[in-house]
Amino acid sequence: MTMTATLGHAHADPHHIGRAAEHPGPAPKRIVTAYGFWVFLLSDIVMFSCFFAAYAVLSGQTAGGPKGSEIFDQRNVAIETVCLLLSSFTCGMASVAADVRNRFWFYLGMAVTCVLGLIFLAIEFKEFADLVGRGYGPSRSAFLTAFFSLVGCHGLHVSAGVLWLLTMMAQVFAKGFRADVLRRMMCFALFWHALDIIWVGVFSVVYLLGGGA
Amino acid sequence: MLGKLDWSAIPFDQPIPLIAGGVVLAGILAVLIWVVVKGHLPYLWHEWITSVDHKRIGVMYILLASVMLLRGGSDAIMMRIQQAIAYQSQGYLPPEHYNQIFSAHGTIMIFFVAMPFVIGLMNLVVPLQLGVRDVAFPTLNSVGFWLTATGALLVNLSLVIGEFARTGWLAFPPLSELSYSPGVGVDYYAWSLQISGVGTLVAGINLVTTVLKLRTKGMNYLRMPMFCWTTLASNLLIVAAFPILTATLAMLLLDRYLGFHFFTNEAGGNVMMFMNLIWAWGHPEVYILVLPAFGIYSEVVSTFSSKPLFGYRSMVLATMAICIISFMVWLHHFFTMGAGPDVNAIFGIASMIIAVPTGVKIYNWLFTMYGGRIRFATPMLWSVGFMVTFIIGGLTGVLVAVPPADFMLHNSMFLVAHFHNVIIGGVLFAAFAGFEYWFPKAFGFRLDERWGKVGFWFTFIGFWVTFMPLYVVGMLGMTRRMQHYDVAEWRPWMLVAAFGMLLLTIGVLAQITQVVVSVRNREALRDRTGDPWDGRSLEWATSSPPPVFNFAFYPDVRGEDAYWALKQHAQEQQLGDHSGPEYQDIEMPRNSPTGFVCAFFATVMGFALIWHIWWMVILGGVGAFATFVVFAWRDHDEYVIPAAEVERIDRINVEERRNLVSLAGTL
Amino acid sequence: MSDQTHMHVEHDLAPGEEEQHSVGERILGYVVGLGLALLLTATSFFIAGTDLVWQPSIPVALIVLAIAQMGVHLVFFLHITTGPDNTNNVLALAFGLLIVFLVVGGTVWIMAHLNQNMPPMDQFIQMHS
Repeated sequence: MTMTATLGHAHADPHHIGRAAEHPGPAPKRIVTAYGFWVFLLSDIVMFSCFFAAYAVLSGQTAGGPKGSEIFDQRNVAIETVCLLLSSFTCGMASVAADVRNRFWFYLGMAVTCVLGLIFLAIEFKEFADLVGRGYGPSRSAFLTAFFSLVGCHGLHVSAGVLWLLTMMAQVFAKGFRADVLRRMMCFALFWHALDIIWVGVFSVVYLLGGGA
Repeated sequence: MLGKLDWSAIPFDQPIPLIAGGVVLAGILAVLIWVVVKGHLPYLWHEWITSVDHKRIGVMYILLASVMLLRGGSDAIMMRIQQAIAYQSQGYLPPEHYNQIFSAHGTIMIFFVAMPFVIGLMNLVVPLQLGVRDVAFPTLNSVGFWLTATGALLVNLSLVIGEFARTGWLAFPPLSELSYSPGVGVDYYAWSLQISGVGTLVAGINLVTTVLKLRTKGMNYLRMPMFCWTTLASNLLIVAAFPILTATLAMLLLDRYLGFHFFTNEAGGNVMMFMNLIWAWGHPEVYILVLPAFGIYSEVVSTFSSKPLFGYRSMVLATMAICIISFMVWLHHFFTMGAGPDVNAIFGIASMIIAVPTGVKIYNWLFTMYGGRIRFATPMLWSVGFMVTFIIGGLTGVLVAVPPADFMLHNSMFLVAHFHNVIIGGVLFAAFAGFEYWFPKAFGFRLDERWGKVGFWFTFIGFWVTFMPLYVVGMLGMTRRMQHYDVAEWRPWMLVAAFGMLLLTIGVLAQITQVVVSVRNREALRDRTGDPWDGRSLEWATSSPPPVFNFAFYPDVRGEDAYWALKQHAQEQQLGDHSGPEYQDIEMPRNSPTGFVCAFFATVMGFALIWHIWWMVILGGVGAFATFVVFAWRDHDEYVIPAAEVERIDRINVEERRNLVSLAGTL
Repeated sequence: MSDQTHMHVEHDLAPGEEEQHSVGERILGYVVGLGLALLLTATSFFIAGTDLVWQPSIPVALIVLAIAQMGVHLVFFLHITTGPDNTNNVLALAFGLLIVFLVVGGTVWIMAHLNQNMPPMDQFIQMHS
């Protein structure tokens, strides 16, 4: 399959102010794959929006259990956030490295991303285990149900992302920077960045808004 | 070891499901043995089960939908008989069985008949209409189909192992919560929908990307056939709405499995949130089904009127308007839950507004027919039958969109009549129209017209006789889902409805006969040119059935009704000669068992989750992941069809077409 | 709508793909993005914990900051631009955001009304005891 990374063309009319163009035919595979994954990400975000909506509806229903401000630890959340932000950055570095076919920087970028993701997961797991240990598990109240599901759903996505990341590294190791591997790498980067965007929503809505009151 | 599963799961004490299940099982075994003994297994495996050809996958979707239509139809027959005889008596179905039947009927008809039927038609036709060789993600397409089949399998498994949900087709809590439905019925329901929902989402992503990114040269957006537009709109809705279903069912499952409190009565859970979320999916779902149906009617009406579609641009606009507005009306499903006047009023108005673009479409079809040279072939009969029927369904829909009226009619048989009116009259008629219309394209021979018309008239009249009485009993105060009743005024209407069901059954049998008769007469019905209906869009520009690569050359589109223009051009020139560019090698995706293997593990996992067999859940999950890794590791994902082979295949069709054109020239 | 929908076709970018840049420029883009994101995050955490601003403005400020940060991520990490080669990607994103807005906004609005008119059982008991 022809998969030259054709980026911007020189064009006399770069913003298409002139007449509508004739459709040139099917798009190259790289664009098709990434666009399909983009559409999947949008559907994933809609799924998250349901958990956000459920959290918004149920956050006041503590049923005599703890409120958000009593159980959230702002310092932990800050560390988690920094981990994810840095991992987004290193993931970006890894995709740049993949585009220029630099194995060393690719492995390094992915490995750091993986470690940061694992640290994030470890902190989250500890927070969950702590809460359950104190008797504030998800079955304690509807508020905790919504909290555990929303944050846990994001955590599951990060776990899946780590699994995918390791598979990607193994694949580059085994197959090199093949066209299909690069396409998958592109999708992985989109996925990881999107998780970061969702985390922005989570820490703002759940921890900061919910922790303040 | 086996979780909740033991011998008590087999309903030895209930003869009806046991016999039904036994007969189905025997049937499947017989088919399997026949396939193996006759040596068809390698053919099936290589040509169908592992196929990533969009046409084959489309056909398998439609086959699945047809088989499930018989299952869902049997449920319908049982319900009509029950309500016909259960006047001041218990009838022949005990309540817990009757409840499973209406739940299974709704679930099957929506998720495993209507959805696969329209997705199958879209898969089969859209790449051909766009003038391309495949969909965007061929292997994922196969995964999507097999996951849908997994869901269907699990629903039917509940017939013999355990039970199905007794909660209605949307499993409203708190009834569907563990405290009130402790059995595995709701788990069967939820897991089969989760698994098939993933399949549907995959199909949606695939088709959205196909329409937006894979179009032949010159196929600008406003030159796409109407069916491609409605496919785009419908699949955008799938992508946006199915995640809501997934999330909602996940919440219900978390409640049931891990003691969460989303929808429970205790600990601050909120039952009303389930209605809210499920209908935020449920209403767009209606349009996911009916928009492709509108596309099918547009193609059929324009073809059989020998005219371009009237008001093409208004049709596009109406389709996209419906696509957006369908996300703003979901509350009309629970006006009676008491949101108060302002909320109800806004959603009521939005529900009436969405009828406007639909009305625009009806007028467009009528004006397309006006002045046309109409041929009343079977697909056209279904389309005209649809217009007559759907208008009634649409009008009663606007009626129940008025909150005060809805307060009277909510959950009554009037509502049942309304949604059957739009879903049968809209979606099922379209599925049949599309089936008759594109069957020659898929298989290379037309369907028998006489039996097709018999099928149409019995189904059409049967529909009216069955469902108009339900409007009446709804007005007389009969609520839905009644296992028995003792109001004398309802009785005669229920008998009429049961008679209508008999007519519908005859209609279905006539259609089965039609397929059998047509297969036997296939030589006489052969479509040699690839253009049996004097079609207008690009799917008719290739042979029937199309070669695996669809088109030897990417067609160059210059306007709307691409193939019609091509034919006009060829007739004016009095030549069909093909002095195009040289034939070239074509790369096509290789077949892959990924979809089938993945669905196998999904079945294992779904079954294990339903019965709490945790080691098997892990096995299924690891298996599915490993399947994808193996797929990702393969080195050759395409094979080459040499130019000489492409030329040989294409020449045959070009020759037939040349004969057609010269024949038309002499007439 | 016709003119807009025709426009993107001549050339097209995959989501997440950048216009041609050198490696240095690309890395710089990520660095700027990371810097802005960290800044906005820090502001969010600071505002949430401080007494220095008018308290009722805090939720609004947090939401504005969150949306700003999402924008930063979209531009610097996902490379979404307003260019014509990105039209399809942006349209898909806009559709997704519209749905998210409708689902979250609609749910909050509807459930608020329902809770007021038909309160959940425990509140109902509280109200009447």
